[in-house]
Amino acid sequence: MKEPVRRGVAKAETGYAVIWCRDFRLQALKRRGGRDVPVALVDDTQRQSIVLCGNVLAARSGVAPGMPTVQALARCSGLRVARPSEASELAASRLLLETALGWVPGIEETAPGILTLDLSTQPPDRWTESAYHLRDRLARTGLEVAIGLGETPALARIAAQAALHEGVEVWHLAPGDHFARLDRLPFLVAECGAKLREKLQLWGLSSLGAFARLRREEVAARLGDEGVELWLRLTGRLRRPLCFAKLEELFEEHHDFEYEVHDREPLYFLLRRFLGSLAGRVAATGRSVAAVHLLASFADGTCQARRLALPEPSLDEEVLFRLASSPIEGLEMKAAVNGLRLRFEPSDPVATQRPLFGKGLRNRHLHGETLTRMRKIVGADRIGSPRRPDTHRPGICGRAPLAAELGETEAPPPGPPVTGLPLRRYPFACRTSVQLHEGKPLRVESARLTGVVIEAHGPWKSSGDWWHRGQSWERNEWDVALLNHGLFRLVETPQGWSLEGYYD
Amino acid sequence: MPASPDKLAALATLRRELAGKVRSGTEFLEECSRCAPGEATFLAGLDAVLGGGFKRGCLTEIHVSGPSRGGGLVLASLLSRARQAGQYAILFDVGNGFAVESFPEHDLESLLWVGCDSAAQAVAVWDVAVRDENYRWFLLDGRDCTPEDWRAVRPAQWQRIVGQMRERESVGVIFARGPVTAVAKARLELVSPLGLESLHQDREAIVAALRFRRVGGGAGENDGRGGSGERRMAG
Repeated sequence: MKEPVRRGVAKAETGYAVIWCRDFRLQALKRRGGRDVPVALVDDTQRQSIVLCGNVLAARSGVAPGMPTVQALARCSGLRVARPSEASELAASRLLLETALGWVPGIEETAPGILTLDLSTQPPDRWTESAYHLRDRLARTGLEVAIGLGETPALARIAAQAALHEGVEVWHLAPGDHFARLDRLPFLVAECGAKLREKLQLWGLSSLGAFARLRREEVAARLGDEGVELWLRLTGRLRRPLCFAKLEELFEEHHDFEYEVHDREPLYFLLRRFLGSLAGRVAATGRSVAAVHLLASFADGTCQARRLALPEPSLDEEVLFRLASSPIEGLEMKAAVNGLRLRFEPSDPVATQRPLFGKGLRNRHLHGETLTRMRKIVGADRIGSPRRPDTHRPGICGRAPLAAELGETEAPPPGPPVTGLPLRRYPFACRTSVQLHEGKPLRVESARLTGVVIEAHGPWKSSGDWWHRGQSWERNEWDVALLNHGLFRLVETPQGWSLEGYYD
Repeated sequence: MPASPDKLAALATLRRELAGKVRSGTEFLEECSRCAPGEATFLAGLDAVLGGGFKRGCLTEIHVSGPSRGGGLVLASLLSRARQAGQYAILFDVGNGFAVESFPEHDLESLLWVGCDSAAQAVAVWDVAVRDENYRWFLLDGRDCTPEDWRAVRPAQWQRIVGQMRERESVGVIFARGPVTAVAKARLELVSPLGLESLHQDREAIVAALRFRRVGGGAGENDGRGGSGERRMAG
C-alpha cells in the first residue's frame, strides 16, 4: 500500500548552536595582540594574586588556572600578566553578539563568552556551513570560538564543549547518530559534578553515550536528580526556552569629553564618527535603523535626551545624520557639554516591494523631515491629509498621515458623486441678522457683508449627537444668492443666524 | 570716432542675413518657457489659455475677484487631477477655510493640507516644502487675503520658491483676489459668476461652463501681446 504523499510546507527543524569563547576574559583583553607570548590573566584583588586563565603558550609552560601568580612567573619566565578589563569584555561581548546576529535573530547571552542561538529560522542543511562562516568572521575580529550544534540547547552546549575538548571548530550532534557521537565523549564534557563522574567511572561507564543508553528509572533510582538531569540533557529531552538578548542597548556609542565643550562643532564631528561606526555595525547584522536615541549631558548635571524615529528603517548615513543633528541645532547650551551618547534602535529592513504601477512617496525620509520643519512653523495640529469624519456634524475635519503609497485609480472612486460648488468656510461663524419674508431669508446684514437675497434654497435641516448629553446640535441651512455678492451658506441654529461661508 | 558708412552698411547687411536665426535673450527665454513641459489639467479651457496646462517649474496665479466664480471648483479639479496621476499635492490654506465635505474622499488621499494664519506664513511653509521632491503640486489658497497680506511677503522668498520649483519641475498655483507676485509666469482670471442652480449641478458640467481670461503683468508675458482675451471652455 502506497503511503499518502505529504504536501505542504515542510515543518521547520528545531536546532541550536552554542558559541563558546574559551578564556573569554583573556581573549577580550588580548584580541588584537599578545598571541605570540605567554599571557596570563590574574586576579590580584585577593590577598594572594592567582592566575585566572592563560593562553596556550602559558599553559605549555605549566601555568594553570588557580595557581599563585608568583608560582606562574617562576614556571614561565617570559609570562606577561594582565588584569581583567570590564570595558574590553563589554566590547568583546557586543562584538560576539553583533557578529552572531548576522546569522540568526534569536540569541541568548548564556554567560560571558557563551551564546546560544536558535537555528529554527535557518535551513538545517546550511547550519554547519554557516557555523564555519561565523567562526571565520569571529576569528578575523580576534575571537577564537568553538561552535556546537545540537537538537536542544543542552546538546548544543555539550557539542561546543566537545569541540573545545577535541580541538575542532564545529561539532554537530545530529539527531540521527548523536548516541554514537556521545560514545566518543568523556563525562568531563558534560560539565557534571566530580562526585557523579567518579561514581559513573566506578560503575564502569566511560562515555556519555553509554550513560545515555541507561534506562531513566534506573538512573533515577541510583543517582537521583543530578543523574536524571544529565540523562535528560544527553537524550535531548531537556528543553528550555531561550531568553533572547535585548538589542535595544546593543548599538550604542558614547563619549565623555575631557574638556569643556561649548560649541556644536565637536558634537557634529563626534556624531559623524558614531554614525559611521554604528551604521556599519547594524548593517553587519542585516538590520536597519528604526530610531535614533541621542543624549547630551551637561556640566551642571542636567541632560537632554531625544528619541528620533525614522519614517521607515534606513541605514543611509546622511539621513541619519540629518535626523540626529536636528536636536543638536536646537540644543540649549546653558552649560558645557560633558558627554554625548548615541544609540540606534535596530529593526528589520523594509522588505516589501513597492507596487510596480502604483505611485507613492519618492523619499519618505525627506517627507518626514519636511513635515517636522513645517510643523515648527504652523503647528502640529494644522498639517495632515484631510479626512471626512464619520459624522454629519459640519465643520469637523479629520487629519491623517499622508498615504505613503497611492493605489491604482482605474476604478471609479467609491461613494456618491460630489455635486455643486465647494464651500469655503469662514474661520469664525459670522453672526448675522436676517430679515425673513414668508419664512425665507430676504435680507442679510452682518459685519462681513450686507446684501439682498435674490434667491434662496432651503431650509436643509440636520441634527445629531442628541444621544450624547450636552453635545447635541441642530441647524437649518439656507443656500442664498446675494445680489452683487455671490452664493453663501446661511445657517440658523438655536443661538441665531450666522454666515458660515461661501460657495466658490 | 564715427563709424564709416561702409561698416554700417556691412552691419546692416549682416543683421538682415541673421534676422531669422539670431534672437534676443528675452525672446529665447520666452521660447524656452513656451517649450517647457506642461502639466495638463484636463480642464480644456484652462489648458487652452495656458497653452497646454500649467508650466512645470513656474508659478501661475488664478484670480477670483469674488465668491462664486469657480475658484474652489478649479482647486477641486486640480486635486482630482493630481490624484488620478498619482501625484502628491500640498494645499496652503490661508484662513483654514477648506471644507473637507466638499471634496471627494478619494481625491484627498494625495493631498497634504497645511492650515496657515497669514499669507506670509503660507509662503514661509511653501519655502520649506518646495525642497521636497515628493510633491508635484503646490497650491496656495489665498482667496481671503488682502493686497496688504501679500505685500508682507518678501520678494526674495518668491524668487527662492520659483528657483526650487524650477529645479524639481513642480507646479505652483496661487488662488487670490488679485495680483500676488511679479514672479508668476501666468495670470488668469475666472470671469463667470455662478448662480444658485450650480449648487445642484454635476461638477463636470459647471467646470465646462467656467470662463477664463488671461490677465497681463505676469513675468512670462510680453506686454502688448499678452491678454489674448476670453476663451470659453469646451467640453
